[in-house]
Amino acid sequence: MLWIGAVAALLAGVVATNVAVLRLNMKLDRLGQERADLKAQTATLSSQLSSAASAPRIQRMAAKRLGWVQATSDQTTYFRLRP
Amino acid sequence: MNRLVNRRIRLFLAALTLAFGGLVLRAVWLQGVRAESLSRLGQTQHREVVAVPADRGTIYDRTGVELGLGEQATTVYANPMQIVNPRRAAIAVQRTLGLDANRLYGTLADHSRGFVYVDRQADPAQAAALQKLKLPGFGFYPEARRSYPQGSVASQVLGYVGTDGNGLSGLELQYDHELAGRPGQESVVKDPAGRVIDIQRQRAEMPGKDVFLTIDHSVQANAEEVLRATVHKWSAKSASAIVLDPRTGAILAMAVQPGYDANRYPSAPRDLQRNRTVTDTYEPGSTFKLITVAGALSERLVAPSTRFTLPYQLQVADRVIHDAEKRGAVNYSVSQILAHSSNIGAITLAQMLGRKRLSDWIKRFGFDSTTGVDFPGESPGIVLPPDKWSGSTIGNVPIGQGIAVTPVQMAAAYAAIANHGIWSRPHLVDHVAGGARPSLHRHRLVSRHIADQLMLMLKDVVAEGTGQYAAIPGYQVAGKTGTAQKPDSHGGYATGRYVASFVGAVPASRPRLVVLVTVDEPRGAIWGGVVAAPAFQQIARFDLQYLEVPPDGAPGY
Repeated sequence: MLWIGAVAALLAGVVATNVAVLRLNMKLDRLGQERADLKAQTATLSSQLSSAASAPRIQRMAAKRLGWVQATSDQTTYFRLRP
Repeated sequence: MNRLVNRRIRLFLAALTLAFGGLVLRAVWLQGVRAESLSRLGQTQHREVVAVPADRGTIYDRTGVELGLGEQATTVYANPMQIVNPRRAAIAVQRTLGLDANRLYGTLADHSRGFVYVDRQADPAQAAALQKLKLPGFGFYPEARRSYPQGSVASQVLGYVGTDGNGLSGLELQYDHELAGRPGQESVVKDPAGRVIDIQRQRAEMPGKDVFLTIDHSVQANAEEVLRATVHKWSAKSASAIVLDPRTGAILAMAVQPGYDANRYPSAPRDLQRNRTVTDTYEPGSTFKLITVAGALSERLVAPSTRFTLPYQLQVADRVIHDAEKRGAVNYSVSQILAHSSNIGAITLAQMLGRKRLSDWIKRFGFDSTTGVDFPGESPGIVLPPDKWSGSTIGNVPIGQGIAVTPVQMAAAYAAIANHGIWSRPHLVDHVAGGARPSLHRHRLVSRHIADQLMLMLKDVVAEGTGQYAAIPGYQVAGKTGTAQKPDSHGGYATGRYVASFVGAVPASRPRLVVLVTVDEPRGAIWGGVVAAPAFQQIARFDLQYLEVPPDGAPGY
């Protein structure tokens, strides 16, 4: 009778392990998709950040909204620093 | 009675044996004979091999700003044979992906097809919303998509990537091997409900390498802005500009206008997608006189101060050539020939050189071959070999007619003079991530002494000659104007169609930049000194300020 119980317990263990592996695989797939989604979001945000932070765009907006004017070469002074 | 019972038992046993026999035979048939094909069928229903896209490398400008980067997108496909209600499916797609349901309905209702793309490289969030509806017959897989955050900035230089992720033009094509990477592969086992129960990675994906350009997006954007205004002001067909560092050949800007938004390349006309500075040729006109003068000086036929008495016009074989402005006979030095852009003076120098030596100097300056710039489709220009010259060719070529060059060839030639006679191969890519900086290709064209003499002459062009609109307060500018009539399709020249150009170096005492501007078919004015020189001045003035190049004290400053 003991061996029947042992075999039953073994079989139950095998089934439980398989179910756990199955669940982990399903979780892995879900996490993989989440990772892909997050990567997609990061790339989209990087693209938006790059567009928004572009110097020509900021200069254009500054010129339009605030009247910013690029300094001309004769309005700029350079200092030669000597050690 | 017993006999009857025994008979029935025997019959029952026989029937049972037959039934078991049948089952055993069926089992042998299924598990023995058809086992392999059934197993394959089962695997195709529950196991699929999925390609894992590799991230395409990012293209950065010299300051680290992203010019082209890879995004993850989701491609939506459908099997119309499995779609139960095409009308409902089309409406769901319209609501989630924003596609036209009426156009989509016909495709989804076509039960003769087993696979159709619903939306390639769709927005992942929108595709996820559609996936949640669990419509039968729809499938989804991740795919890389290219994005250009700076929009139209350097769009012709960057090129574009096709829907399959392959570079199709520009730097995307030139560096496709480095940028593309290698996709991975996964084997996915699904349960009958479509849930993933096992993933076996067969090959890991290898992301593409990042590419770092010599282009500066601020210099590029400013050049494009100036060209846009120039095209508008002169109602020109197009305009192009190159900004390069003569010391290294590094190209800081390569602009063509009109341009297009790189994110919308499929809808942009093919004509606008061309990087004309590399692929297109033009007759350079007077900017080419520098090569004639360089040859005559290097062959020690003349010195900058050598003087010539020049008539207004000159007969060369069957052609009469004259200077641009009507005048009497003048006594010009070689410097003045360049400063006043005298056709007769340049032809006189060319006649002293002769066709063979002039041809050799043209070749030496690289006008019969590609520069080797790292951009696809470079044109070598059109240069007649000396044995095919007619009697009048010696009257055309020295003044930049009857010869076709690319803007990048011309910019590289002037850069060599600005760099004390050493030519550096123009290039757009500084390095590829993980790789060493490629070594510079350099060679000497003229001696340092001759190059410095030529720079002095080019300074005179801006100080007192045809290029005065190129002057920048505080800086010495050396450059040359060019105005060339465009050839027509009958072997002659088109009336009223010109290319105006200016190419120069700043600060002339220690050049940091060479800027070339060409304006195609300007209206109202045609002269390089009037149309292109002001554009040069605006581009160079911004760049000097932006790159913090100190003034070298222009006379009168």
